[in-house]
Amino acid sequence: MFEISRRQFMAGVAVSAGAGVMKSAPARSADAAVEVSSPWGADKPFQKVVDAFNAKKLGVTVTNRFDGDYESAIAKAVASTAAGRPPAMMITGWKFGYFARRTLGVRDLRDIDPARAGAILANFRPSVLPLVTIDGAVIGLPWAMSTPITFINSSLWREAGLDPALPENPDTQWLYENARKLDAALKGKHPTYRSALALSNNEWTSQSFIQNAGGYIIDPDGKLALDSPEAVIGMTEYCAPAHEGLWIPVSGKEQDASFESGALAICTTSSTRAATFPFGHAKAVTAKFPGLAGHPRRLNSGGNFLAVYARNKEQAEASLAFLEFCASKEGQSIWAAVGYLNTSLHDVPLINDFMKPAAAQLADGLTAETIWPGKRGLEGQEVWRKWVSRMLLKEVTVPDGLKGAHQELDVLISG
Amino acid sequence: MRISLRRLAPYFFVGPAVLSVAVFLYGPLIASAVLSVLDWNLLSSDVSFVGTRNYAAMFSSVDFRLSAWNTLLYCAILIPAQIVLPLLLAVMIHAVRRSPLQGFYRGSLFLPTIVAYSVAGVAWSWMLNPVNGLFNELFGYFGFPKSRWHTDPDLALLCVCLVTFWKTFGLNMLLWLAALANIPPELREASQLDGAGPGRHFFTISLPLMTPTAFFISVTTLFHVLDDIVGVIDVLTHGGPAGRSSSLLYFLWQQGLQFFQFGQASAVAVIIIVVVLVATWLQFRLGENKVHYG
Repeated sequence: MFEISRRQFMAGVAVSAGAGVMKSAPARSADAAVEVSSPWGADKPFQKVVDAFNAKKLGVTVTNRFDGDYESAIAKAVASTAAGRPPAMMITGWKFGYFARRTLGVRDLRDIDPARAGAILANFRPSVLPLVTIDGAVIGLPWAMSTPITFINSSLWREAGLDPALPENPDTQWLYENARKLDAALKGKHPTYRSALALSNNEWTSQSFIQNAGGYIIDPDGKLALDSPEAVIGMTEYCAPAHEGLWIPVSGKEQDASFESGALAICTTSSTRAATFPFGHAKAVTAKFPGLAGHPRRLNSGGNFLAVYARNKEQAEASLAFLEFCASKEGQSIWAAVGYLNTSLHDVPLINDFMKPAAAQLADGLTAETIWPGKRGLEGQEVWRKWVSRMLLKEVTVPDGLKGAHQELDVLISG
Repeated sequence: MRISLRRLAPYFFVGPAVLSVAVFLYGPLIASAVLSVLDWNLLSSDVSFVGTRNYAAMFSSVDFRLSAWNTLLYCAILIPAQIVLPLLLAVMIHAVRRSPLQGFYRGSLFLPTIVAYSVAGVAWSWMLNPVNGLFNELFGYFGFPKSRWHTDPDLALLCVCLVTFWKTFGLNMLLWLAALANIPPELREASQLDGAGPGRHFFTISLPLMTPTAFFISVTTLFHVLDDIVGVIDVLTHGGPAGRSSSLLYFLWQQGLQFFQFGQASAVAVIIIVVVLVATWLQFRLGENKVHYG
């Protein structure tokens, strides 16, 4: 019978443990390895940016790791940070700005290397830098930026006999009036037409309406401002087409599917759809997001920032090398193919003319999407969405809905 | 001192199983119970003991109470449906057991069970799409008013029930079929000779002989219902509109992995564990003595 001694057994255990420890130690090679946790797989333009950087052989090898949507990526980052191995870099949704800074400990780029960080940031429009500045720290590059614009099914618009010349600065009066005409002309008479309008049932477009009415969700002093008369005006205008039956609020995916199949005539959604909607069945044309008549336009934006989480000095500096490439004209030109707005100062051409309204909104100035502060801030978005839904469904009146949202959110973000 | 490999062998064989149960079952249970009385985000060194505050916060949360009420409704609708309807289908399929169509019926009815939730969710959201989904197109064609289906606060929960049932009834149907196939044919022949009709045969012979399967199905269906609705909610309604289709497990997932409130999520986990333990104990207490294993 085969027998092992205690000494042999202990030696085997020691060898196995040693191998495990060595494997978990950071690799020491000429090339620094940087892994980027991202919401994009190998088939997306971000991979091309990574490949172009690696082809330069600058002594840093970057790997793009697809980690699902922003929420999934953040959940994985929490787990890996808790285990003492935070991601070196992560593409982080703006809405997670406070969480990234205060909980995950995202690095201030200027703390890694002030001179290099300054040179990197100098490639970007000064107007977008406040969007990536949290608690006084520059927490990443303003990497992907989109803004809501209006998409119109050109053939349905034409068949309804509406004026093909779209105004430069449309307002809700114009939009809703045309939606009514469209509905009257096509409802029950057109094979694919089913609904006139969709404004996107989410926190993003509702924020645009409140801002266009002169209000805020969270004001510049960081205080919740949903109890203002401006918020009531904005949300009343936002809910009006749903209450009138012109808009059937559905999820983003269902809205896109309806628009692309020719069932929905007009929808306001992310400008990134300018890369697809105009070339599909809808043959969409684009216009700016509707403002509110008599009020200055104040649109918002959404997207993500490219951030460094590496604690290790070598990895953090290697990450800056990748950021230098991302901020360069070459990096930005590759990245532009995805359909986001050009946040840099480089002269990068628009991917198509349908992006012009979005570019014009950027030139007019965009605010950030709502970044909910406080220890329980991440719940803020869900709570706001819930109240937006309730107002759209007429479960509560707009003033009562805003009051309810204000009370519930106040508890969350003051914590 | 020398250790015999034969003496160590049982530990090698049993060790991995015991270790995995300890690490993946009892470990998380204990961790959840501990986390539920702490205020800690897993990352910071700032850990504070909050006692029952997380539980109190959950019980006073309107969203938690709505999720709990929804879970009760899901169980009230889905548990009987998941037990009785698969049994009816199994009896019908068993009745045509000598027909070549039996395999077709069984396969096609079981097919939804092996479809991924993501695929099923997308397919159903296309069919239920209130703007131009298949259901509304059919309703419109026959002159019925259109519905908002899963985006209607009054229908969202029923839509989740419908999709969950469609997605999961196949497994119970197969279990019932297996139980029916195991009933000795002589008993059927004997009951026929004694003049028993199909109904009497089913209720007095088949059903009592299938009580072990019935008991197994009744216990596991509770877990399956709690678990399966989360997948459907996630792809179809995200708990909406305004929380009307959320469930306790979905609420737990949101608290833990969407909002990173691990203390409150753990409190919900402990509440669910206690409720499931009590429900299962009651099932055993009330049901086991009615099971005929002989």
